[in-house]
Amino acid sequence: MMRRGSQIALALFIALTLALPAYAHIGSKDVYEEVNAGPYKLFVTIRTPNVIPGVATIEARSSGAPVRSIQITPTPLTGDAAKHPPSSDAMRPSADDQAFFTGSLWLMAAGSWQVHFDLDGAAGKASTSVPVPAMPLSILPMQRPLGIALAVLALILILGLAGIVAAAVRESRLDPGLPSSATQRHRALIASAFTLAFTALLFYGGYKWWNVEAATYAADIYHPLSLSPMLSGNTLDLKIGRYDTDALHSLRARSNNDLLPDHGHVMHLYAIRQPGMDAVFHLHPALISGGDLRMNLPSMPPGTYRLYADIVHANGFPETLSANLTIPPGLPPAPLAPEDASAAPPALSQGELGTVYKLPDGYTMIWDHPTELSANTAYAFRFRLVDAAGHPAADTRPYLGMAGHAAFVKTDGTVFAHTHPEGSAAMQAVMLANGPSAEMGGMDMTGPLSSAGPGAAAAGDHIPPTVEFPYGFPSPGRYRIFIQMKHANTVETGVFDAEVR
Amino acid sequence: MSTTANTWFEFQRPAVAVPWYIWAGVLAVTSSSIGGAWDVSWHRSIGRDTFWTPAHMAIYACGVLAGIICAWLIVYCTFGRNSQLRDASVSVFGLRAPLGVFFAGWGGVAMLMAAPFDNWWHNAYGLDVKIVSPPHALLILGLRAVSFGVLFLILAAMNRAAQADAAGFRLLQVLFLYIGGLSITGQMFFLQEYTWDVKLHQAIAYIAMGIGLPALFATFSQASRSRWAATSTAAVYTLFVIGEILILPLFPAQPKLGPVFNPITHLIPAKFPILIIAPAFALDLLWQRLRSWKPWQIALVSGVVFVAVLTLVEWPFANFLLSDASKNRFFGTIYFDYNSRASGYDRMREFFFPDHGAALFGGLLRAALYASISTWIGLRFGRWMRGVQR
Repeated sequence: MMRRGSQIALALFIALTLALPAYAHIGSKDVYEEVNAGPYKLFVTIRTPNVIPGVATIEARSSGAPVRSIQITPTPLTGDAAKHPPSSDAMRPSADDQAFFTGSLWLMAAGSWQVHFDLDGAAGKASTSVPVPAMPLSILPMQRPLGIALAVLALILILGLAGIVAAAVRESRLDPGLPSSATQRHRALIASAFTLAFTALLFYGGYKWWNVEAATYAADIYHPLSLSPMLSGNTLDLKIGRYDTDALHSLRARSNNDLLPDHGHVMHLYAIRQPGMDAVFHLHPALISGGDLRMNLPSMPPGTYRLYADIVHANGFPETLSANLTIPPGLPPAPLAPEDASAAPPALSQGELGTVYKLPDGYTMIWDHPTELSANTAYAFRFRLVDAAGHPAADTRPYLGMAGHAAFVKTDGTVFAHTHPEGSAAMQAVMLANGPSAEMGGMDMTGPLSSAGPGAAAAGDHIPPTVEFPYGFPSPGRYRIFIQMKHANTVETGVFDAEVR
Repeated sequence: MSTTANTWFEFQRPAVAVPWYIWAGVLAVTSSSIGGAWDVSWHRSIGRDTFWTPAHMAIYACGVLAGIICAWLIVYCTFGRNSQLRDASVSVFGLRAPLGVFFAGWGGVAMLMAAPFDNWWHNAYGLDVKIVSPPHALLILGLRAVSFGVLFLILAAMNRAAQADAAGFRLLQVLFLYIGGLSITGQMFFLQEYTWDVKLHQAIAYIAMGIGLPALFATFSQASRSRWAATSTAAVYTLFVIGEILILPLFPAQPKLGPVFNPITHLIPAKFPILIIAPAFALDLLWQRLRSWKPWQIALVSGVVFVAVLTLVEWPFANFLLSDASKNRFFGTIYFDYNSRASGYDRMREFFFPDHGAALFGGLLRAALYASISTWIGLRFGRWMRGVQR
């Protein structure tokens, strides 16, 4: 009985979700973020639960001024409850490594959350926040031994009650010491048969109820808003669907008409040609009206493209919407917009790309590849831009307000994560969490695109030709990584392959 | 009935009329009732708990005590030489013990099944934020079965004492009504998602109580032989909940979970008790006067009287509860969960979709019909219970 319940729940789940979505990105729910709080520097990993309410586990590695203690508190990113934090929890320092802290927090509702970090150490107190989107993503199937144990207990209860009712009818009303009569025993038998049927029916009702609850939960599992692309000539129109829920679920209700500009654009659209991943475009359609975006496509080689569209809602909740787009041959030629980027790497079938990627203008992008890559491990991946003469590029500039942009894409299409040097959280959500004047500020994320990157002073200034992306691969397998950096007026896209264990 | 034996557990002699295991059972049910109320308050105020919260310990204590009583009585009646105790027992699958022991044991197994089921449920679908989920229903069923078992332990002793005209009868009757009162408390706890103050102008609240309460009142009235059984058991519920309102807010507490929409500083108690004592009193008066009627006739009148009196009393009282006049420590309408929104019906003190006109009238008629059926079941079962000897 229990097994069937879990099987039905699982089937429902599979029917409803082809691949595990993960809001901000696809298939990559965990948050990897590098944050500065005054003199302190933390590399934070927040692993959100698959079910909500559930427990998020949090790891923090301190690399700035020595940290003595860290208190963590979850609150929604926006709204009334953002003003009333629950009592905080202390993170535990590791016994072997005093700079490494772990902790856990309950996230009680789906929606756009933040975790506050209150630090204390040699340099005094400081605090910072990391945005954490949380949505129910899956239903846990029941393990066989537990299912069997529960079924046995249910059977004991059903048979036990029949036996008890039989005893009640047969002898409970007899004066002490008197034996039961044949009539009483006969009536007891009938009563126990009725009880057996009744209790079995009761448990069957409970099982049906369970299925209803499971289906209700399955209906609440996160799905990104729908994305419908339409191509006429080289004009691409993208319509975003709505996700309406009642007021009770307002934390997870999402509109298609509340998008915040992130790095100056309402949408960051990656188009990756399938199946070879041999053409990639980073594009920025413009908002025409609520839920409707449009752009003129640059020249693109024909084929089927997978679209990954990053958006951020007003409450700081980021989503990656996804759809397929077929580019027919003979599209009218058009140039790439100055803020857009593209690359044409060798197809996946031509073997794995190395750690050095030759760019079309003679520059080279180099990945300082860690010796081994394992899933669910936090890394800070470093990439360097080298000029045609083999020297570190002296003319590196911020691209869309950042030192670089990265997209980690699993070759089977189940993972897509567009991240930045601060981490995998959407920048606009980071701004909501820490305010525009916070440590990560200094960059204008909503304004013109020439604004400075982290560590850079003013728009147009040169920045170091090295960029680091905090990220962890969510599962083993083959990934293709697209890195964008800008030098002079050229946006470069370096492409690398990673085999993750 | 034998009076030859003279051992300390001999329950039918007036000097030791109430054996230890009945006291232990009463303690177990009291402990789980307090633990249950405390646990709900904990979740409404602090939010997060562990296996070892004091509220949980009080509930486990019920299980441990019930386990000890069941094991001792089963071993003693099945394998012991004391014929008196063995004579007053029933046999289930070869094991002997008073009938109540088996009910309580059944409840224990149900609770045992609910624990891993609930744990899995939280992992599969998230920590449930509502009381009535399948694993919680199983847990509550288990707790209620333990309470029912203790009620039967008292019942058999009480019925034997009544037959022997023993002096211990009065005390056993009081204990019976007390446990009955805690059952009413448990029933109201189970119904509280329908009887929240903001829902008291919906017919569903009266339908829920019409189904759930008259059966218990009629059972206790018939089985206890008390003229004021319904009133007394309703009084236990009323005092229990008022006690909760007066005591729990004395303990400091703050939420350990977000989202916090309502910052609080102390434990949040239950809502003010429903005035079921009024219809209970009306039923007692009615039943004292209709003894010669047939059960179905009594049931029909009782259903109508129950719903009519309950509605006439609670409907205007609900207006009072949502008014500013009830904003004090006694009526407790100043207390709200940490996660209740300022725009929510309870904090706005507004009724949640109140029923009017035909919908209301039709709903109350249905409530009266269900209450009649419920009374009939209670009367029949209570009369049967009066004969239980073992």
